[in-house]
Amino acid sequence: MQISTTELGLAARVHNLSKSYGSGEGMVRALDDVTVGIRRGEFTAIMGPSGSGKSTLMHVMAGLDAPTSGRAWIGDSEITGATDLDLTILRRRRVGFVFQAFNLVPTLDAIGNIMLPFDLDGRRPSALERARVDGLVETLGLGARLRHRPHQLSGGQQQRVAIARALATAPDLVFADEPTGNLDSRSGREVLTLLAEAAREHGQSIAMVTHDPVAASHADRVLFLGDGRIVADRSRQSAEQISAYMLATERDEEQRAEEQGAAEAQGSSKPQGVPA
Amino acid sequence: MTRLAWLRERGMGASILVAGLSSAFGVVLIAATGYISAFLFADPFIGGSETLAIVVGILTVLLVGVAVYVAAIVTANTFATIVAGRVRNIALMRLIGASARSQRTQVARQGLVVGGIGAFLGLLVGTGVAAAGVAIGDALLDAPTVPFALVQPSLLLPAAIVALTTWAAAWSGSRRVLSVTPLEALGGSAERAHEDLARRPGRNIAAISLFAVGGALLALGIAAGLVTPLGVMIAFVGGLLSFTGLALGAALVMPPVLRLVGRVFGSSATARLAAENGMRHPERSSRMAIGVVMGVTLVTMFAVAIASTKAVLTTTAGGELPEFMATLLDTFSIVMMALVGVSAVIAAVGLVNLLTIGVVQRRRELGLLRALGLSNGQVRRMILLEATHVTVAALALGLVLGVAYGWAGAQSLLGSVPVVPGGTAGTFVLPALPLVPLAVVVVATAILTLVAAVVPTRLATRVAPVEALAE
Repeated sequence: MQISTTELGLAARVHNLSKSYGSGEGMVRALDDVTVGIRRGEFTAIMGPSGSGKSTLMHVMAGLDAPTSGRAWIGDSEITGATDLDLTILRRRRVGFVFQAFNLVPTLDAIGNIMLPFDLDGRRPSALERARVDGLVETLGLGARLRHRPHQLSGGQQQRVAIARALATAPDLVFADEPTGNLDSRSGREVLTLLAEAAREHGQSIAMVTHDPVAASHADRVLFLGDGRIVADRSRQSAEQISAYMLATERDEEQRAEEQGAAEAQGSSKPQGVPA
Repeated sequence: MTRLAWLRERGMGASILVAGLSSAFGVVLIAATGYISAFLFADPFIGGSETLAIVVGILTVLLVGVAVYVAAIVTANTFATIVAGRVRNIALMRLIGASARSQRTQVARQGLVVGGIGAFLGLLVGTGVAAAGVAIGDALLDAPTVPFALVQPSLLLPAAIVALTTWAAAWSGSRRVLSVTPLEALGGSAERAHEDLARRPGRNIAAISLFAVGGALLALGIAAGLVTPLGVMIAFVGGLLSFTGLALGAALVMPPVLRLVGRVFGSSATARLAAENGMRHPERSSRMAIGVVMGVTLVTMFAVAIASTKAVLTTTAGGELPEFMATLLDTFSIVMMALVGVSAVIAAVGLVNLLTIGVVQRRRELGLLRALGLSNGQVRRMILLEATHVTVAALALGLVLGVAYGWAGAQSLLGSVPVVPGGTAGTFVLPALPLVPLAVVVVATAILTLVAAVVPTRLATRVAPVEALAE
């Protein structure tokens, strides 16, 4: 019995996903048997402290990186085991990206950057897509900036161009990696509102990786990662609730680390203190 | 050893290679000139033909001069790109209190070290090659009696010149250091895609004046050539001045040509990205292209001049050129083209280097493009196109200039020679286009393009999107 991603109402999902770096003693387990789906038409935040595996999860889900084991789908297409060319074309046509910084190609002007997914595909946008792009340009207030190059734009404007590009092809899923990390709080809020609107009003599925509780509070659903595992899956939360949860888990973690440290210290002193 | 760790930086090896090539070339040519003069003086028939010795000497100076000039352009470019890659570090040093001047002096000092190493290696290799050449020459000419000492102080001259020009080139290439602000260490600012074209009115005026004066002298030489073969001397000076003007004004001349060539390759995403990349540092691309232009121009010039001369001489001789005359001209043509070819090789090293460093410094951008859906095949095409833009632009300009200069040389030399014996002077020399040498130039440029694209393509296709974006 094989249920497809679409039938589950998901835009993307991963199954028993693990990813480790290095080998032997120095092996780091970035993802540890993760199974999760990103629901269609929802704005999902993926939260967690640095090193929790949230970026790795996003990279594998988006077809940018291969897992050590497990499977991943975007829509109904399985991306694990796909060739580099297949993945490239999939990213081009069905995934949108917004990164923390360095989102735009510096040699292309704003409209050149927005149309890049179509250009890379070697085609002109259809009338429908053209109308969509025009609508995005207007909503994002980029009309007067289309001929500007990235270095002539403010950080917030650059990020809005990146959002327009990510939404232009109406992809299955938009991945946003700390999209507000480099912005002042007002521009950051604008960017988050735009993403939330895209999900609410146009049914755009969005997955955003962040460690900022305020950013995550704009999302419909918050996934918490810790040590490469999903530790909680909550519906919309306030920034305070998210902060409280993060602090609590962090405290637990510290306590556990302390206990473990104490146990180890005891263990190592045994041979000297208590001869076997 | 950490003090010399910077020598492993990308671009330094190429600078050593370029310095070594030009130094070795100078050493070999000076040794060859000395050997030829010694041979001429020892010859009982031509004995003491000073004119010939002087002509050979002038040719040597010119050829070595061109090689050193091209090498200096390549080195200045290389250091400009190296500095661009070090901006973060330099900004950090500025942030903690280093002066811009001290930072620039440091870069220039590295240029001197690189130039010194290259010049010394070139001296060794050049002397070795010259020794082998002398041995072969002795055997071929059957003249072991030629009194000739290979190791002379004069061999140190090209090596010293190369070391000093590399130093100067590194200094001139490191101008960007002065404009690095401590703030750039903090990052976050978007890369300025297009270097503002350095506004240097003084240089541009000098370039235009040189070109104009040179052009006028060329015309004068051609006119004088209708009366006397000495017109070629005037035309020669005119050619030298006008070409220097062109090289000096490369940043005025090349960008429009590059843009035109870029448009020829269509409007696909890869073609457009490649065209924009070529214009990212217009001054750098222009200077690089001018190096290739020089090689193409000189080879074409000699080929066209000699073919035209041959055509005129054939007519005057009544349709049949004496065997020894034809052989002499052909040999001279091949030797000159081979010697000029050395400069072309140096320019080629510079082109490879420029493209490679360009890719290394664009890792993040390539990662972004790969994430957005640029396939590895498209990456390969984009970089090949970048190389093609430079070489095609240089080839086109070089062929036009070479034909023009070659014809001007032949016309000013032979304009006064009556075609029909006893006829009137004032011949119009048709520019002859020798197919084989020109085809060799075109094919060599095509090969250069492919070779220049290999290393950067390999580097670029290895960029993993995740890795590049995580930086």
